[in-house]
Amino acid sequence: MGQEPADIHDMDPQLFQERVHSFEFWFEAVQGYLAGKTYGHTPDLKEEGLDEDEKDRLITVLCNYAVGETAALEGSSGLVGIAPNRNTKLFLATQVVDEGRHLEVLIHRLQDLGVRDAEAEIARRGSPKLVEFRRRLLDLVASKDWEAAIFAQNVILEAMEFAVFRRHAEGADPVTREVLLGIIKDERRHIGFGENELGRRLQSAPHVRARLGEVRRELDPLVLASFDDVTEKIGLSRDERPELARSYLRAVERLGFTP
Amino acid sequence: MSDFLSMYSIQHWLESCPQGYLEGTSYGHDPDSREPELLMQDDLLREQAIRTTVQLVVGERCALAASSGLINACPDQPSARFLATQTLDEARHVEIFTQRLLDLGVQKNELESVIQAHANPNLVKFAEILLEKVDKKDFVSGVVGQNIVLEGMAFTVFELLHQTSQALNPKFAQTLTGTIADERRHVGFGENRIGSLIKENPAKKPEVEKMQKEMTFYMLATFADSFRRTDAREEIQRAKQQAGAAGPVGEGAEFHGHKLGEMDPEEMEALLADTVLKEFKTRLGRIGIDYQTPARP
Repeated sequence: MGQEPADIHDMDPQLFQERVHSFEFWFEAVQGYLAGKTYGHTPDLKEEGLDEDEKDRLITVLCNYAVGETAALEGSSGLVGIAPNRNTKLFLATQVVDEGRHLEVLIHRLQDLGVRDAEAEIARRGSPKLVEFRRRLLDLVASKDWEAAIFAQNVILEAMEFAVFRRHAEGADPVTREVLLGIIKDERRHIGFGENELGRRLQSAPHVRARLGEVRRELDPLVLASFDDVTEKIGLSRDERPELARSYLRAVERLGFTP
Repeated sequence: MSDFLSMYSIQHWLESCPQGYLEGTSYGHDPDSREPELLMQDDLLREQAIRTTVQLVVGERCALAASSGLINACPDQPSARFLATQTLDEARHVEIFTQRLLDLGVQKNELESVIQAHANPNLVKFAEILLEKVDKKDFVSGVVGQNIVLEGMAFTVFELLHQTSQALNPKFAQTLTGTIADERRHVGFGENRIGSLIKENPAKKPEVEKMQKEMTFYMLATFADSFRRTDAREEIQRAKQQAGAAGPVGEGAEFHGHKLGEMDPEEMEALLADTVLKEFKTRLGRIGIDYQTPARP
């Protein structure tokens, strides 16, 4: 790897694909922001005093994030099996461990907040809309529809999480903020992969676009409804909520999908 | 259960693997190390190394498909998270062994055809038996097949290859050191998690034992194919002697108390098979499965 250009974007496209989809690239990327962290945050970071209501709202929000991350873990692991080539399999394997880590740090945060049985709490507080989204995503993976599944997982789900986590991190307590910022860095990589993978396929097979448009029309209402379930709890005013939805929609529209 | 599974957390994995024994490596070895000149200059030796490495890629591709496929069949979240780390371990193994094929001179555009041409059909059959269980989301059979049988075989094969490479090929030996450390963790998880599940589902035992017997047969057939190939043996021996090498393996290399340099291929096959089968019996016994002896190929 010693002869690579200083900026990886100057690389030959094929070499670029191989480089960014490798374990080596993943490790260099995460090492920068996970080194020295324990369960996603600096070990001696001081816990901010949350009152009981704030704590309860945060627990509900984190339970919903855990539903999303469980879907992402199950979706990405299923995608490894249907990925069309070695490089995409390798990238998805790094995504599997990222999603597993997200679930782990969220569960650990729930335990910090006093939740004894995190799995039961997640099942109790999870939004039915998110649970439905998870079911639909896994259906797409099970049907081995690569384009539709990668669109639902790496564009829609990741864009939804990216929009909510970024907004939540702005006003979160210090520990939750650090945990979320680490997750966001991973999500950025996952969205980049999804856009790149689908962007190339849409160029060579425009008919795929119509099918993905249908997937989007089916999943958008679930995404937007699940936003409603968490926005108030992360402290967004009624005026700010449309911007969250717009942030998600913009990410999806980068691939040329308009509502 | 949760206490033992905390040892298999992603946090623990991050600290011990990527931030531990892989730190400073590139594709699993010192970035400056290279395949030995002896190997690269002799077509027969290089061909033999490619053939061996292809089997490693085939095995690791199967392990990647199995570990990722089992996540959706997990009965609990900590197991799913452990399998997430195993998925990435296996992907890394695919990557480093594929990279070794490239280092050995295989062209990128020929990679798949070289793998297809050299993949041992018995090893492919071994993989198919396991992946059939994974496709059916059979977690217990899948983990026994993957983390006890496949990983147990890989662990011992890597150890043997490591011993034979230490003196002559430090680059490959270092690559294997990291994979051995990974496999040890995977085998440990399989034993710990599946024992309790077998106790809860004793009716699964006959099905698991049947799978173990079939996989073991194809494993032994793969070993037989690898060690009994006579077509190139004399030529390889001649090439090594011409190059001034001490013998088929480095001086003093030992495996379970046997001097590898003094053994002929049939003896090495028997030693490898006996070592793996002994491990199988011990590990399967620990989880309450009775080892089933297959026919000897």
